[in-house]
Amino acid sequence: MHNTTDNIMAVLMLINLALTASSRLNLCISLVSLQGVALGFLPLFSHNGLNLRTAFLAVVVVAMKGVVFPRLLMRAVRGANVRREVEPFVGYGASILVGILLLGISFWVGNRLPLPVSAVSSDLVVPGAIGAILTGLFLLTSRKTAVTQVMGYLVMENGIAAFGLAVVPEVPMLIELGILLDIFVGVFVMAIVIWHISREFDHMNADQLSALKG
Amino acid sequence: MTFCGDMLWLLIVLPAIGAALGLIMPSPRAAIRSVAIGVPVVAAVAAWAVVTVMRGGPLLSAGEWLHLDALAGYHVVVMMIVFVMSSLYAVPYFSHEPAGHELDLPAARRFAALWYGALAAMTLVMLSNNLGVMWVGVEATTLLTAFLICLRVSPSSLEATWKYLIVCSVGVAFAFMGVLLVAASAGHAAATDVHLLHWTHLQQIVKTLDPRLLKLAFIFIIVGYGTKAGLAPMHSWLPDAHSQAPAPVSAIFSGFMLNTALYCIMRYMPMVDAAWARNLLIVFGLVSIIIAAVFILAQHDLKRLLAYCSVEHLGIIALGLGLGPLGAFAALFHTLNHSVCKALSFFCAGRIGQACGTHDMREIRGSIRLSRLWGTGLFISMLALIGVAPFAIFMSELLVLKAMIETHGYISMAVFLLGTATVFVAVLRYAMNMAWGTGTAPRKDEPGSLLEWLVVVAPLALLLTLGLWMPASFRHVLEAAASIAAGRAP
Repeated sequence: MHNTTDNIMAVLMLINLALTASSRLNLCISLVSLQGVALGFLPLFSHNGLNLRTAFLAVVVVAMKGVVFPRLLMRAVRGANVRREVEPFVGYGASILVGILLLGISFWVGNRLPLPVSAVSSDLVVPGAIGAILTGLFLLTSRKTAVTQVMGYLVMENGIAAFGLAVVPEVPMLIELGILLDIFVGVFVMAIVIWHISREFDHMNADQLSALKG
Repeated sequence: MTFCGDMLWLLIVLPAIGAALGLIMPSPRAAIRSVAIGVPVVAAVAAWAVVTVMRGGPLLSAGEWLHLDALAGYHVVVMMIVFVMSSLYAVPYFSHEPAGHELDLPAARRFAALWYGALAAMTLVMLSNNLGVMWVGVEATTLLTAFLICLRVSPSSLEATWKYLIVCSVGVAFAFMGVLLVAASAGHAAATDVHLLHWTHLQQIVKTLDPRLLKLAFIFIIVGYGTKAGLAPMHSWLPDAHSQAPAPVSAIFSGFMLNTALYCIMRYMPMVDAAWARNLLIVFGLVSIIIAAVFILAQHDLKRLLAYCSVEHLGIIALGLGLGPLGAFAALFHTLNHSVCKALSFFCAGRIGQACGTHDMREIRGSIRLSRLWGTGLFISMLALIGVAPFAIFMSELLVLKAMIETHGYISMAVFLLGTATVFVAVLRYAMNMAWGTGTAPRKDEPGSLLEWLVVVAPLALLLTLGLWMPASFRHVLEAAASIAAGRAP
């Protein structure tokens, strides 16, 4: 059981690093959805293992993060006719270094938090979760394309989901579904706004969105 | 009891039905009117529920998932006042849009549906007994109101919408970390309890919660919900969203959406170490007041000015919450005063903006000559906003000051006075120039309709009455609500 959880968390961290280094938007979208799918399977291998509740949630999460989100984002990218991230505020070489640094920080913080992480959960879950949250924030602040910012948000949500899994084994079903609904609507709304932005502006660089000041 | 329980459900279901109906309205006019008629009906049901609670004590219903006590009830009342006023105002506002900018049918339907949707989501935040569901509600308000900002799509309204979406989504995601940490603080014993995140349940087991994790959780909560509440330095989205949205939307943003997030922070107060949490709130409050004052000094856009004014007032409310029981009393009183007054300011600013074709305060001159009703309304509401006696904001700010003297917070008092005095001088100058300045040629003044007069006079009358006299029953409600928001006695 532990091995599977460890492997999933390792995949999650590797995807974080890969995201900091890649400029092709399609690749980034695939990576983020792969990360979401991997996380969707995580509940099946921890705590209570496979039962009706975890299986149902896993199906919903995998369907949303693996199928719906990438489709929405791919469509936004196609509509905006942008294939690559343009000149990020932090270059790709430096971004990898930042990614590694964030990974180090997440291990350092994750092992010091006085969290009641149960013995059934792997030691890698909390550092992995914090790493994903930090990577998401880094992507949000260092990239210019609106789609990449949405991906940063999703990576951060992935991290929070993993964190929740580690510290609160059984969030009531109603809350879980509510959160998923919110994230779904969130991505949906963001995709529509990106579509509008790409129509109104020449392309969808969020750094063009700087007319409102003061 | 069971019937009242059903009523709590109604408060969320009724606006949801309204949202569905809004989508099938036959004309833009009908869509706007459906809002103006439907929202007061919902408000009447809400008033009934709140009166029941104030008489008979807290209500729990729907398997303890919904909860209405004095604190929630008070906020529901403030919310309903702001929503009813704004819904009524929406009718004249949208019928006076300049040619070429009128709402078309899809936009009007979208407005009606999202307006009701926002009302449902905010009601869910107020009523939910579960901290997780509360978070879901706050995130839902962000998503539902996003398209209200760009009701009329333009580059600048899209920019404001995008900033709002990203900043608030990320901010509120932080708050969810806080929710998870609160759950974690209960430890393993309670970890599988279905009632784990129920607020009423957490109150019972508060002594067994891990205080270190609760502190960590509260930091995430105050940063996360503070972003949505517009507390500085997380307020960057606020002036853009408020200035780009149509005036009725700005009114509910400023008048209540910010308070929704602050309400969530109040819910966590009874769980954490009160003295520590209060200091944190005081710091955020004072920083907000000062930053808002600085930006107000250099502001030319009327709606941005009002937006920064909201940052200042939310700062004052946060400061009040940090000052113990009397401070919490003052903060809650200030919540009502600010919401009513700010909604009115945005109403007047919106109509004056329509008449002048701009929100640039350097170009708005002689607004009282331009429109007796809206020009005078704007001037008086701005005076009330900066705390001129005898309006109620003066009284609540005085109470905050009194709470600071009682708790010997002389440094924060100096900062508070510096900030509010700066705002006072700056806003007074703008308000006088806009009201009487010469420059633009006076245009034809339209006599306002009865509805328009009502929307301006009723809030002013309320502010004046509360400034001069506080009814005993209102005081009891405030005291009951403040005893929850003030947190545990240290």
